[in-house]
Amino acid sequence: MPRPLPSASGAAPPFRMPPVFIFRDDPIPDSLRPRQTERKARRRGDEQALGDAAANPISPSLDSRRPGPAMSTKRVLCKFFMHGACLKGDYCEFSHDWSDQSNNVCTFYQKGSCSYGSRCRYDHVKVSRKNPVPPLPSSSTSARNSLVPLPPSSNTATRVASTSLQLLSPGRPLHLGHQTNSSNQRQQVSTDLLPLSGSKPAWKNEVQLVEDGIDWSFNQTEQNQTSIKLADMPICSFAAAGNCPYAEECPHMHGDMCAVCGKMCLHPYRPDERQEHIKLCEKNHKRLEALKRSQEIECSVCLDRVLSKPTAAERKFGLLSECDHPFCISCIRNWRGNSPSSGMDVNSALRACPICRKLSYFVIPSVLWYFSKEEKLEITENYKAKLKSIDCKYFDFGTGTCPFGTSCFYKHAYRDGRLEEVTLRHLDCDDGSTLIAKNIRLSDFLSRLHL
Amino acid sequence: MVDVSRVQKELTECNRDSDVSGVSIALHDGGSTITHLTGTIAGPLDTPYQGGIFRIDIRLPGGYPFEPPKMQFITKVWHPNISSQNGAICLDILKDQWSPALTLKTALLSLQALLSTPAPDDPQDAVVAQQYLRDKSTFVNTARYWTEAYAKSDSTGMEEKVQKLVEMGFPEDMVRSALKSVNGDENMALEKLCSG
Repeated sequence: MPRPLPSASGAAPPFRMPPVFIFRDDPIPDSLRPRQTERKARRRGDEQALGDAAANPISPSLDSRRPGPAMSTKRVLCKFFMHGACLKGDYCEFSHDWSDQSNNVCTFYQKGSCSYGSRCRYDHVKVSRKNPVPPLPSSSTSARNSLVPLPPSSNTATRVASTSLQLLSPGRPLHLGHQTNSSNQRQQVSTDLLPLSGSKPAWKNEVQLVEDGIDWSFNQTEQNQTSIKLADMPICSFAAAGNCPYAEECPHMHGDMCAVCGKMCLHPYRPDERQEHIKLCEKNHKRLEALKRSQEIECSVCLDRVLSKPTAAERKFGLLSECDHPFCISCIRNWRGNSPSSGMDVNSALRACPICRKLSYFVIPSVLWYFSKEEKLEITENYKAKLKSIDCKYFDFGTGTCPFGTSCFYKHAYRDGRLEEVTLRHLDCDDGSTLIAKNIRLSDFLSRLHL
Repeated sequence: MVDVSRVQKELTECNRDSDVSGVSIALHDGGSTITHLTGTIAGPLDTPYQGGIFRIDIRLPGGYPFEPPKMQFITKVWHPNISSQNGAICLDILKDQWSPALTLKTALLSLQALLSTPAPDDPQDAVVAQQYLRDKSTFVNTARYWTEAYAKSDSTGMEEKVQKLVEMGFPEDMVRSALKSVNGDENMALEKLCSG
């Protein structure tokens, strides 16, 4: 039985191996479980084949079955990591790198119909068959991620299934799925097997699988018993979600409580992950607080609460650069976009704040209202940075001319990625003032000459 | 389209403290369209308009609140910035200085302020403005007389007029409706009663 490492035992809640529990991600497909008698028979009959497999664990047959997804999912951002707590840490099949794209493709849409329609939170794009996306994190990760302690109400059928596992390798502890790592070779086998169980039809390699499974547990037990690090152990996902039915009796390690979100989701032995979670949690918390405070703010034009508007597009503030009066984005844009023919002057009336009549030259859309100068500055900077990443449609990669010139908020770049460089020509006047000259043309000069 | 929910909010907001502010708004003649309203303002104290109740016709254009409401005095007023003929108002916030943050209530309050501080240099009615500049006392007397004659009819003088006409032999309900239809003018009402 694995025991906690002596060095770490002081800080940790006492760690026990569970008496009975099931790995949902073990290499043996569910379909095989109830058929223990059959399996036993097979085992007895296939001693020879078993020995072969033990001697040559990475057999060609295994290698050829190595599924693609194991590689490609590594580049898809882990859903659980994104939300601040992936229980698998370094062993997650999905990427824990923020720079990787999250796979956000709607599977229902791929199949033809998504009942959420335009309200679906996943992307409705067609993925071409030649270029298949890695399997959706939601399906594969959720199935594999949870080392599920059985809820108390769980029936005996599942317990039978788990004992059958023990029968499979009598006298030996259950292997710990992909968390065994003492031998490189063994790990190779295990990682190969893992995605296999999820992605290949169970019936195809039934026999092979059983053999591999046995072979694997036979070998690993000898080399591997004491090497399980506490950091590799997952924490109880029920406790992390807020409520573990086992409470004190839970066979899994419970995470420490996060002071911000109040959930038991901090892994005691993964400092990086803890920091990551706390950072993310604080950011979310701050945003939530700001959102709560913003709820009360009313638009001075439509007299409604901005964040209580019927459509999502309307639930945004329009911040004026020069003053601090709140409006909803649609009202302030409507006012500023008013036609000058209505008798109101663009520069004195329309661009002025409707309340204090201070001129502002641009409006910043924002979901949150600000309560300090720094917050406003942050919102403004974020907005400008976002616009700077979008190509200017007037500049049009150099083929057009942008009326806003160097003060344009959008990106002025040529097709090869080169940014537009403008050298302003300053003309000094007699009275000491300076003018910035735009587009001086020889034709203008010539036409003014009276010969 | 007129922002109906905003107009409704403005109406309840305005009428909640109409006793204090002296301005109130109602649908025009009990009509059903929210784009045609009638506002009333009390004549400001210490002016020739004191004690009068002035009624203002308000029409909301389609672009309201991004376009100013069209306002016009129904009650005749003697004032340099208000036409003595048709009640047209010369006030910047109802034209190029309108702002969507202004409301009907603030516009009516501005009119009240306009009554107490005439601007004869930018007149709507040249005759009144001339009088205001050259002969202030005559202006004050005329304004006071107009207030007495036109802006006080419906509340205080009403019962007297009803009494008078009833004594002439007309039934009371007919007298009241006739007076109401001609906006409290006694002679017009008599004419109407005789003809009808």
